[in-house]
Amino acid sequence: MRAAKSAYPLTWRIMDALEAFAAFVWPARFGRAIPWLMLAPALLLVGLLVLGLWLIGDASLRTLDTSTFLMSETYTLANYRRAFTESLFAVVAWRSLAGSLMVTAATLILAFPYAYVMVRTSSPVIRKLLLIALFLPFFIGQVVRAYGWLIILGNQGMVNEALSLVGIAPIRLLYNYWAVLFGLVQYMLPFAVLMLAPALTAIPEELEAAAGSLGADWLRTFRHVVLPLARPGLVGAGLVVLTLSLTDFAMPAILGGGSQDFIANAIYDQFFRTSDQGLGSTLALLLVATGSLLVGLVFTLFGAGTLAMGRARQ
Amino acid sequence: MMPVVLNGSSIKAKSEEAGVAVSVKAVNMVYDGVHAVRSASFDLEAGKFLTILGPSGSGKTTLLRLIAGFQRPTSGEIFINGAAVSAVPPHRRSIGMVFQKLALFPHMTAAENVAFPLKMRRSDARDIPARVERYLDMVRLGGYGARRVHELSGGQQQRVAIARALVFEPDLLLLDEPLAALDRKLREEMQLEFRRIQRELGVTTINVTHDQREALVVSDEIIVMDGGEIQQKARPAETYRSPSNAFVANFIGVTNFLDAQGGERRAIRAEKIRIAATRDGLAGTDMIVEGLVVDAIFEGERVVYEVRVASLGDALLRVFDHDPSAHSQLEAGSAVCLGWAASDVLEFKP
Repeated sequence: MRAAKSAYPLTWRIMDALEAFAAFVWPARFGRAIPWLMLAPALLLVGLLVLGLWLIGDASLRTLDTSTFLMSETYTLANYRRAFTESLFAVVAWRSLAGSLMVTAATLILAFPYAYVMVRTSSPVIRKLLLIALFLPFFIGQVVRAYGWLIILGNQGMVNEALSLVGIAPIRLLYNYWAVLFGLVQYMLPFAVLMLAPALTAIPEELEAAAGSLGADWLRTFRHVVLPLARPGLVGAGLVVLTLSLTDFAMPAILGGGSQDFIANAIYDQFFRTSDQGLGSTLALLLVATGSLLVGLVFTLFGAGTLAMGRARQ
Repeated sequence: MMPVVLNGSSIKAKSEEAGVAVSVKAVNMVYDGVHAVRSASFDLEAGKFLTILGPSGSGKTTLLRLIAGFQRPTSGEIFINGAAVSAVPPHRRSIGMVFQKLALFPHMTAAENVAFPLKMRRSDARDIPARVERYLDMVRLGGYGARRVHELSGGQQQRVAIARALVFEPDLLLLDEPLAALDRKLREEMQLEFRRIQRELGVTTINVTHDQREALVVSDEIIVMDGGEIQQKARPAETYRSPSNAFVANFIGVTNFLDAQGGERRAIRAEKIRIAATRDGLAGTDMIVEGLVVDAIFEGERVVYEVRVASLGDALLRVFDHDPSAHSQLEAGSAVCLGWAASDVLEFKP
C-alpha cells in the first residue's frame, strides 16, 4: 500500500501527533473550564478592588487622634456624622453632583451632532478630520489640556489679550465653577462621541429615508426615529460622562484653583493634607454610593437592556 | 379571508381621471463622475403598474430615488400629477415607498409602523386606529398589530411595509426591489399579492427589479434599462415578443444569437426551436440545422438542451423541449436536427 502512504503526507502526520499531544495535555472535557479561565484575571482584579473597598470601609469607621496621629482602635460613626453635618462637605457634594449632571447634559447635546455627522457624512475627508480632532486631545491628557486652558483663559491669556485689543478690560475667566464645567465638557466630549458613534452606525440610513418618504421632516425623523434608536448609545455615553465627571480631580483642581473642589479633591485633601484617612475613606465610600445610586437610577429608568446587552434585543 | 373593501375614494377618483400620473422628462443624473441616468423620458398613466427592469448598475434604482426625491436630477424634470417636483423634498411628496430592506422601524409595533405616516401627516388622531386596522386587514395581517417587527416573519414584514406605504393613500407607490431577498416561493406569492393590492386600490405603482419573471408577472408596462438609458418601454407581452434591441432580447427570456448578416443581428428564442433525432420530426419548420447535443438538463416540465451547431460557427444553441414525455430524451453526444420557423427569427439593426 505504498500509494496510500504517499497520499498521507508527512506534514499531516506531524499535525496528527501535535493534536494527540494537545489532547493529552488538555483533554476536550476541560473545554468547559476555558470560559471561566478567561474570566479569571478580570475576576481577580475586581476581587482586589472589593478587598480595597473593605479596607476603606474599615478605615471609615475609625477617627484620627490629632495628638498621636494614629487611628482609633474602636469603631465609631463620627466620620459619617461629620460628612453629613459639616456644611463644607454638603457644598462640595452638591457642587460635584449638580456639576456632573450639567456636564453630562451639555456633553451629550454637543456630542450627538458631532457623532451623527461623523457617521453619516459621505465625504471620507470630513470623517477623517473629525476623527483626528476627536483623538488628538486623547494623546494630550487631561492635565496638559487643563494647563492649555490656563494659557488661553488666564488674565494675561489669549482671550483677554484679544479683548484688550478692542478695548475691553480683562475678565476673570478662570477659577470659577463655569471654568471647571467648561473644562470637563471639553474633556468628556471625545468619550461621548466614541460611545455614540457605534450606536448611530447601527441605525440604518434607510430608516431615515423611509421616515422622510412617510412624511416626516428632519426634526420629526430625529425625534421619532433617530433618537429612540440611539437610546442605548445615549444611556451608555451618559453613564460614562456622569461617573467620570462626578469623580474628576484634575479639572476642579487646575481650572477651579482650589476654590471649586469636587468630592475627589476633598478626599485628596483628607488623605494627603490633613492625613485623616478615616474621613477620607468615609467621603470615598459616600462617593461610591452616590455613583452607584445614580447608575442604578439610570438603569431603573431606562432598563439595563438599553445598553443592548442580553439576547432580548436583536 | 374576506376581501376587504376600502373606501379609498380619493385614489379611485385620481385613477378615473386616467391622466398622466408620472412624467419624466429628459432626466440626467451624474454623480461622482458616473452618468447613472442618461436623458430618461417616459410617461406613466394613472393607475398603471410599471416595472423598471435592468441589471445592477443600469440606473434603475437611481431613477426610482429621483422620483422619490432622495436625490435631485442633474438636469431634466419630473412631474407628478402635472406638478414639477424636483425642488420638493421627499416628505412633501405624496409617495409611498417600500424599501429594499423594508426599513421598518424596529422600536415600534406593526400597528405603530403603519400609523407612523398618518401621525407625521397629522391625520385626525381619532381616525388613525381604524385606518391602521383596515390596512393591516388588507395585507392579511389583521390581529398582528401589537407584534414587534422582529416577532414577524419575512413575509409578514413585507406586508407591514406595504400597509405602511399605502395607508396614507399616496399618489404614487414605489417598490425598490423589496422582494429580492425572499426565497423563490415567498417571492412569487408576494408578487401576486402586490398585483392584487395594486388592482384593488388602483394606485399608480413603479416597481424596480432585476427579476425578468417578476417584471412579466406583475406589470402593465415594463421599462428595460441598461447603462443608464431606457432601452424599451412596452407592455410585458410586447417586450417579450418584439424586443427593441439585442440587449432587451438577451435580458428577457433565453435567446440564441445566430450569425450576424450585413451588420444585422439575428436571434431565436430557446422555446421557438424544435429538436428531433431526424429531419422527419421537424415538419412545419423552414430553417433546419444539424448539431450535436452537448448537454441535456432535465428540469421536470421541460428539458434544456445545449446543442453545438457546426454550420453556425460552432455556436452553442439552447433549446427548450416542453414535451419531453412525447419522445425519449436525447442523450448528450447524439446527433440531432434543430428546426425553427423563419418568422420567429428576431432581427436587430446594429
